[in-house]
Amino acid sequence: MKHLLTATALVAALSGMAGAAELTVAAANVSSYLDPGKDHSNVGSQFYFNSFDPLIHKDYSKADPEWQPGLATEWTLIEPTVMELKLRPGVTFHNGEQMTADDVVFSLNRMFQATFPPYQVRMRDRLSNFDHAEKVDDHTVRIHVKREEPLFETLLNLQQTFIIPEDYTKALSGDPKVAEDSDYEAFAMAPVGTGPYRIAEFVPGQKIVWERFDGFWGEQAPLDRVNVIQVGEVASRLTALRTGEADIATNIAPDQLSTIEADPTLKVVGGATPLFHVMIMNQNHPKLQDARIRQALMLAIDRNLLNEALWLGKAVVPDSHTMEEFGPFYMPELKTFEYNPERAKELLAEAGYDGSEITFDTQGSYYTNGMLAAQAITEMWNAVGIKASIRDLPKWSGNDPEMMARNWSNPMYFNDPFGSFGVMWAPGGPSQSEGRFNTDETYAEIWDRFRFSKDIEARKAAYAELMDHMAKDPAVLPLYRPYESWAMRTDLNWAPKPGHIPYVLDFRAGSVALTN
Amino acid sequence: MTAFPMIARNTALGAFWASGDRIQRLALVLGAALALAALAAPLIAGFDPTAQSLISRLRPPLGFEGARPGHWLGTDELGRDLLSRCLYGLRLTLSLALMGATLGLMLGGLLGVLAGVAGKRIDAVIMTAVDTQIAIPFTLVALFMLSVFGSSLTVMVLVLGLAGWEQYARILRGEVMRLMQMPFIEAARAAGASPLRIALTHVLPNVVSPVVVQFTLSLSNIILLESTLSFLGLGVQPPTATLGAMVGVGRDYMPNAPWIVLAPALLILAVTFCVQILGDWLRDRADVRLRAR
Repeated sequence: MKHLLTATALVAALSGMAGAAELTVAAANVSSYLDPGKDHSNVGSQFYFNSFDPLIHKDYSKADPEWQPGLATEWTLIEPTVMELKLRPGVTFHNGEQMTADDVVFSLNRMFQATFPPYQVRMRDRLSNFDHAEKVDDHTVRIHVKREEPLFETLLNLQQTFIIPEDYTKALSGDPKVAEDSDYEAFAMAPVGTGPYRIAEFVPGQKIVWERFDGFWGEQAPLDRVNVIQVGEVASRLTALRTGEADIATNIAPDQLSTIEADPTLKVVGGATPLFHVMIMNQNHPKLQDARIRQALMLAIDRNLLNEALWLGKAVVPDSHTMEEFGPFYMPELKTFEYNPERAKELLAEAGYDGSEITFDTQGSYYTNGMLAAQAITEMWNAVGIKASIRDLPKWSGNDPEMMARNWSNPMYFNDPFGSFGVMWAPGGPSQSEGRFNTDETYAEIWDRFRFSKDIEARKAAYAELMDHMAKDPAVLPLYRPYESWAMRTDLNWAPKPGHIPYVLDFRAGSVALTN
Repeated sequence: MTAFPMIARNTALGAFWASGDRIQRLALVLGAALALAALAAPLIAGFDPTAQSLISRLRPPLGFEGARPGHWLGTDELGRDLLSRCLYGLRLTLSLALMGATLGLMLGGLLGVLAGVAGKRIDAVIMTAVDTQIAIPFTLVALFMLSVFGSSLTVMVLVLGLAGWEQYARILRGEVMRLMQMPFIEAARAAGASPLRIALTHVLPNVVSPVVVQFTLSLSNIILLESTLSFLGLGVQPPTATLGAMVGVGRDYMPNAPWIVLAPALLILAVTFCVQILGDWLRDRADVRLRAR
């Protein structure tokens, strides 16, 4: 963390040196759509911050949130369940429209009262406590929540509550006065926001071009143009960097670090990302309905060995679904997950495991070291007597009833257990919506205490109960916090900021600078 | 290259050996060694090709700093013995190529003979199919088939079998048409032999030679196709080793562990070299016009 802060300070100091400049990023993946409302993927998270703003910003150079004015300049809790926000005047969207209270109400209500199915998932998993937003006057809005919200500012800082233009969106298809699903689909191909860079070109899965937006309300962007090109293979990304075709390469595996460090023209920045690479298991697959089988799958995995071998010991292996960034809710005392191959064998015998094949899905190079970890995990399963194989699939299989186990990630979307475990494993959240995770009344009751208790100890106690639940009837195993690295030219000063969610490519003023 | 003087020159093999130049003899010896190594992989490989040793990842070949005893060619990205994976990969790659080439021969051979002996209409249909196959880049067809039907061993063999069948069909059709004009076929026909009997007893023995030559030549193309598909990640799925898949995975490690890609790449080079040279040699021997020169 110290390294990140130092790098950030250096970047801030050098930012004044940046003149007209163009940058090219060789990214492992580029999104197939760009809509901050429906997206919560690691790939998508890279791209929104440069082009969109939330109502409430924060100091992204700090891990602990320090709220700052965004598109709202003031906010006050006028009732326990109502927040009033004064909007920033003179904010212009990339298409030239002025931002109004109507745009803010539209942007928020499309998520709070979602009718578009992808928004409904985000509404259920993290925004379910919001009731609606209303316009008070041209520069004032009120946001109503159903129950007192301990995370009000936090949730109004999320990517999903970034502001988009109402008229532009509604006019994208069909009736220009009505917001239709097809409007949102169209918006994802031609997104418009208020951030310092406008999206000048978007080729799904291949390319994004940002151009500086001169009408930005804040400090002007330091770069004229940023090109993001998809380069799937890590060797090709490094080659692009060496030949000058790219200035930054994302997702560099630890195995490659030594070769970059040996090159005087290149450098690398990175750290243990606030995100877990996890293994998920389908509770409803006929072969995995017995919880003992799933427990055995977890107990057979030596996560420390994976860390030592694949991450050179630079990743962080947790005992539970918890991380330091949770602040007072960091609970290292929980021992939810362990490695015990002998117990795994016993559980398999008790459950009467019949030797049928258990598959582990992975998605090529989507996750750094994803394929290596998949092969190592299936070998560990084989060692305790599980017949295991890999399915290397071209797309997400978490919603496929045939999926038995696969890799996934649980990012920390905000500094709270709700921002990581909570989002992914909420009743009605993405895991349950995809039919691979079940919750009952007991789980929902514990969840409610964890989510809304104002007392820290009460929330922690409820979270411990959720972890206990997950140990007994498992659906997820956090493998490790991956050590993610970005390689770049030595004359470029850029580093991921600790206040961002994982993978954000922040090229705003103060975040990037060229020294030549 | 005079290691086999005792092979009697009057035997077929002896005559064959004597007819070759240095390169051809080298290809024969090397090819035989590779085939033997592939056949005997379970006996000579020191390790299980899928057995991982995560603490021994990316170890260089013996003779380099950091090498692990017993791992002659070093280890791969999961600590698996590279020599063992190469041997098993060679075995699987050759098996797939042989099965694919055999399937292509059977399909193309049958259709070629049919086109040659049946009427004009059937001939036109088959030759249209042949022309269509020639016109479409087969790698694209293979990629499509594997992405639709998955990349199991069975699908892989079928895809490889469909690669090159048209060459057999064209060669056999031409040979059969030529033979059908020969006096001994006329005689058989006059004696009342059925078309099937004529095809099996009179035509087939006379087309074996060009078919064998074509089989050898197409083998190297199929090996390269299998390697290409595996390199692209559409071949046999991990952890099973094929040479193309090993090159595909190894390319990410070229800067820091080049042996992972070099070993299987050199094996592909050696195998295709041997098969190609031997195919040319066989063709030279089979073609009386060339042999006379």
